[in-house]
Amino acid sequence: MNDLAVQFTGVSKRYKHFALDNVNLTLPTVSIMGFIGANGAGKSTTIRILMGLVHQDAGDVNVLGHAMPDEQAQAKLDIGYVSEDMRLYEHATLGWHMDFLRPMFPRWSQSYAEKLAVRFDLKVDQKIKGLSHGQRVKAALLLALARKPRLLVLDEPTTGLDPVARAEVLGELMAVLAEEDRTILFSSHNTVDVEQIADQITFIDRGRIIDSEDKETFLDRWRRLRLMTPHDEVIPKLPGIVNVGGSGRLPVLTTNCFEPAMVSAYQERGVTVQAVESMTLEEIFLANVQNQREAKTA
Amino acid sequence: MNLRMVGRLILKDWYLERWVILGSLVAGAATLAWITLGGKLAWLMGIIVMVTILIAIGAQLAMASLVSERKDHTLAFVMSLPISYREYTASKILGNLLIFLVPWLLLVVGSFAVVLSSRTQPHGLLPYVAIMAVEILVSTCFVAATALVTESQALTIAAILLGNLALNGVGYWVAHLPAIATGMDGALVAWTPTAYGLLLGEFGLIVLMLGTTFFLQSRKRDFL
Repeated sequence: MNDLAVQFTGVSKRYKHFALDNVNLTLPTVSIMGFIGANGAGKSTTIRILMGLVHQDAGDVNVLGHAMPDEQAQAKLDIGYVSEDMRLYEHATLGWHMDFLRPMFPRWSQSYAEKLAVRFDLKVDQKIKGLSHGQRVKAALLLALARKPRLLVLDEPTTGLDPVARAEVLGELMAVLAEEDRTILFSSHNTVDVEQIADQITFIDRGRIIDSEDKETFLDRWRRLRLMTPHDEVIPKLPGIVNVGGSGRLPVLTTNCFEPAMVSAYQERGVTVQAVESMTLEEIFLANVQNQREAKTA
Repeated sequence: MNLRMVGRLILKDWYLERWVILGSLVAGAATLAWITLGGKLAWLMGIIVMVTILIAIGAQLAMASLVSERKDHTLAFVMSLPISYREYTASKILGNLLIFLVPWLLLVVGSFAVVLSSRTQPHGLLPYVAIMAVEILVSTCFVAATALVTESQALTIAAILLGNLALNGVGYWVAHLPAIATGMDGALVAWTPTAYGLLLGEFGLIVLMLGTTFFLQSRKRDFL
């Protein structure tokens, strides 16, 4: 059996003012990938291609062993999809939505759906129009999870939620995810959300995948070095230094492939390493984007 | 094509449009009763009300189940289901047509019954009534096809206006065709070759429009 839930090979899609350019992306089964990019970076386009809702101009897309978009109907039997711009039917109840979906998905679990309704504090006989935005997101999650999908695709599900509702949705989502091994693609421009859930991270910027790795490796190899030089001099830029900031005798270096040997290499040059700081995923994302954009324009 | 899935999507639209269907049936039945009980003025007004009801239902169905699906962002939910866009298109065309056919058939059969049972209305009017009833169906299919292909509220409204204008134009033109006009006031129903030809042309136009809609939909590359 193929151990890749999603495989993009050389995928391109061109619009008038935006292009998804030669995207290569793999998502192994039983892993949770955080798909991070700024607004308009290409996250939703990539996900729509994954779902077969937008046809790629070039390249191959394989989802759960199905070629997309041709085999989208079969693939979607095993996919739970929730997106920020997805809405349920306002004049129907959550219960009606559950009854509507049940016969379509062979693995649909009614008992699980009812359990989730209790857990998410949703009333199945309440019309969707009477739900808050947070409750609507939870309702959409319930309908996706009760399908017992092999692949869960969440496209910015927490966008537009207030901080309390966002924390609540994420909390419930993490609790549910902890119960079973699932393959998830979670896209967001909010790195804090992604950091809580994902074990794989992919950055996308201006239609190009700029980095993809497991989260721990990301956090391990990115470091900020605070240095102090004896004189006001130019710091030698060792391999792996992607950004030099700070000023004068107090430069701040950012590296994307930190090794302890880097510290000793600077010390041997008479430079004092004042601190080696870990970086948050947000800082890593910003440094990565900046580095890639500079490299492209250089 | 997964016909079972198409059927489920049609039933979904029937459920969501159940009040429109029910309302149109009640309004249609009331209009027919009014025509039956009233005199010549009631007949004339009743016909106008019936045509208005049918045009309104066609417009409402196109806006509610086709244009709004994108505007209200429920299209993303529907397209997350295990269906292809071909099945979505089939469900929308068939669903809209079937829902529309409920009040349409009631009003057409009712109108026929009123004409045939009336002592004041000439039975020779029936071919004209049939041609105009099918013309309303043509107009509804045109509106639905425009809504499905363009997914644009503005263009769908334009199609509703165009369909309405065409209905008036066709009504005037058919009423002045000698082969139709001469029999309209007669006591007997005269199904002339011209009447058959017009009906055939209208049904052909419906098939052509729906086929073109399927073709254009199959060439779409972006659905969201």
